[in-house]
Amino acid sequence: MPGNPITGIVSKMASGGAPSDVLEKLYNSYIQEFGLDKPLYIQFWDYLVKVLHGDLGVSFSLYPIRVNEILAKALPWTIALQVPSIIIGWLLGNFLGVTAAYKKGKFDSVLFPFSLFISCIPYYCLAIILLYFFGVVLHILPTNGGYSMNLVPSFSISFILDVLKHYFLPFLSIVLVTIGGQAVGMREMSIYELNTDYVNYSKSLGIKESKIIRYVFRNAMLPQITGLALSLGTMVGGALIVEIVFSYPGVGTWLFNGIRQQDYPLIQGGTLLVTMAVLTANFFIDIIYSFVDPRIKASQIEE
Amino acid sequence: MKELLSIRNFKAYYQTSSEEVRAVDGISLDLNEGEILGIAGESGCGKSTFSISLSCLFPPPLKYISGEIFLDGIDITKLNTQEIRKSILGPKISFIPQSSMNALNPTIRIRNFAIDIVKQHEPKTTRENIIHRVIERFESLSLPKDVLNRYPFELSGGMRQRTLVILSTIMNPEIVIADEPTSALDVSSQREVIELLKIMVKKKIMKSLIFITHELPILRQIADGIAVMYAGQIVEIGSVSDILFNAHHPYADVLMSSMIVPEKGMREKNLPSVSGTPPDLRHAIKGCRFADRCPEFKKDCREKDIEMVELTKGSFVRCIHPLRTKK
Ligand SMILES: Nc1ncnc2c1ncn2[C@@H]1O[C@H](COP(=O)(O)OP(=O)(O)OP(=O)(O)O)[C@@H](O)[C@H]1O
Ligand SMILES: [Mg+2]
Repeated sequence: MPGNPITGIVSKMASGGAPSDVLEKLYNSYIQEFGLDKPLYIQFWDYLVKVLHGDLGVSFSLYPIRVNEILAKALPWTIALQVPSIIIGWLLGNFLGVTAAYKKGKFDSVLFPFSLFISCIPYYCLAIILLYFFGVVLHILPTNGGYSMNLVPSFSISFILDVLKHYFLPFLSIVLVTIGGQAVGMREMSIYELNTDYVNYSKSLGIKESKIIRYVFRNAMLPQITGLALSLGTMVGGALIVEIVFSYPGVGTWLFNGIRQQDYPLIQGGTLLVTMAVLTANFFIDIIYSFVDPRIKASQIEE
Repeated sequence: MKELLSIRNFKAYYQTSSEEVRAVDGISLDLNEGEILGIAGESGCGKSTFSISLSCLFPPPLKYISGEIFLDGIDITKLNTQEIRKSILGPKISFIPQSSMNALNPTIRIRNFAIDIVKQHEPKTTRENIIHRVIERFESLSLPKDVLNRYPFELSGGMRQRTLVILSTIMNPEIVIADEPTSALDVSSQREVIELLKIMVKKKIMKSLIFITHELPILRQIADGIAVMYAGQIVEIGSVSDILFNAHHPYADVLMSSMIVPEKGMREKNLPSVSGTPPDLRHAIKGCRFADRCPEFKKDCREKDIEMVELTKGSFVRCIHPLRTKK
């Protein structure tokens, strides 16, 4: 990203009509404050030391607000949006996938192309389509923000309803895309599982279908859990873009603002936070996996 | 002896949009209580298809064509899937699959699978009672009950197969069908499984057994009678010693001699002493199906379809010029 962010900050003040020597001084004091006069390796060292102390620095664009503060405000929105929608989309997608594989016929011939279609749409496209349809054409749902500007955050019913209204479209976008991707994969896995010997054997013992579906669901889901760990980064990335489309007050939107305004500390802090979150989530998925697959547990104990 | 199962002119084909494979094409046989019947025949003659059809579930592309399967006087081919699953599979007819790593659900413990099976047929029995019953069964057959707490992948191949045998028979079925249940095992595990099956028939845990195998020594160890299949039909049924040493059908005769003296390197080619290959099951065949390869071929063999005839009591043959008969 070309451009000197300090010039940006200062020129913003200049539009107020300050004399040039004042601006010059201002410029120098900012340079010093952000440590930009030091050599690059020292700047980097300072950055590392600060990060290790949990300090992500001061935002350029919202000076003098700290990045920590911005992200701390944004994170709850992002978590509240992404965690439920990815989990629900994942579960629903897997459930639909296994059902399609088992029922075959009409159900499958509708669901499968639909999922394939949805899963191929980029996140932002689906989000924009939904936004346009529900927000612009039908006018039944708000198109941006986490809550209406004229409301003050509180625990009142009207505020909560308002938040839910704003929540719905971004939530739906993420859920739909996740369902699509998961259903396609799960269907393949389940078709494979349904042809295994244990399914035939269970049938030959008179075990009923719903039980067999449960066996298949569980076993076909194991690779899907690994898949979740692998694709979580992409999913979160996509969900962040959904936030941008809806100007949702989460990390994604702030990251986007940071990029637009050359707010390096905010960009660095945001990406670092997202990376850490994805890695942590991956770690937990691995732990969960070893609990649900007895074969993994056994091999770990042997080691 | 009480007759358990009676199959009459039973046909089941594989039907796809492009072709029809007449894999089971007119099988008739009777099975008595306490009897162990072996089924032998070349690869591809329809043994597995016949065994699957006995479940009456007919997974596509397999399709029921005609004939009856009487079990306790009821023709089970007329029952719907629901009734079959509820009252036939498990308590009346049960299957022992080929030993494979995958025959048991890899992610549940043996104990829970046993509970699932019993619960299916006796929803009111408590888990404790079921476990108690299963443990008793394991102990009475001198298998370690510790197996119940394990996952399938934690068992050795032989132990897994014996566990399958016990799980398949937990509902005390009348008829057990085992399709090559020992073919994937080493010789000593094979013997253990065979012994287990014999004991279970003797203890009346199951009333009768149909045993499909390529291996003659196993048939000699376990079977009372042998049915020889060729091209979707049974060509001869008789006692083990009759079929082995006095087969009347020319095909049964060559099959037995080829199985008795397995020539080195010839195991894969099932019939070293006759030329030709079995007929293509996709086409109707007129007359005797073995005629092309038969060393005893006569002109009239191809004139009309050959029926099963009873030569002596309990010995049936589908041949108009049977061997070793005084004319
Ligand atoms: N799903 C299927 N669709 C079409 N044809 C099939 C199918 N399964 C089996 N067949 C055909 O049916 C015939 C009988 O097969 P089957 O598996 O019953 O033979 P088998 O006697 O059990 O052989 P083996 O001794 O090798 O196990 C064969 O010709 C085979 O090619
Ligand atoms: Mg077979």
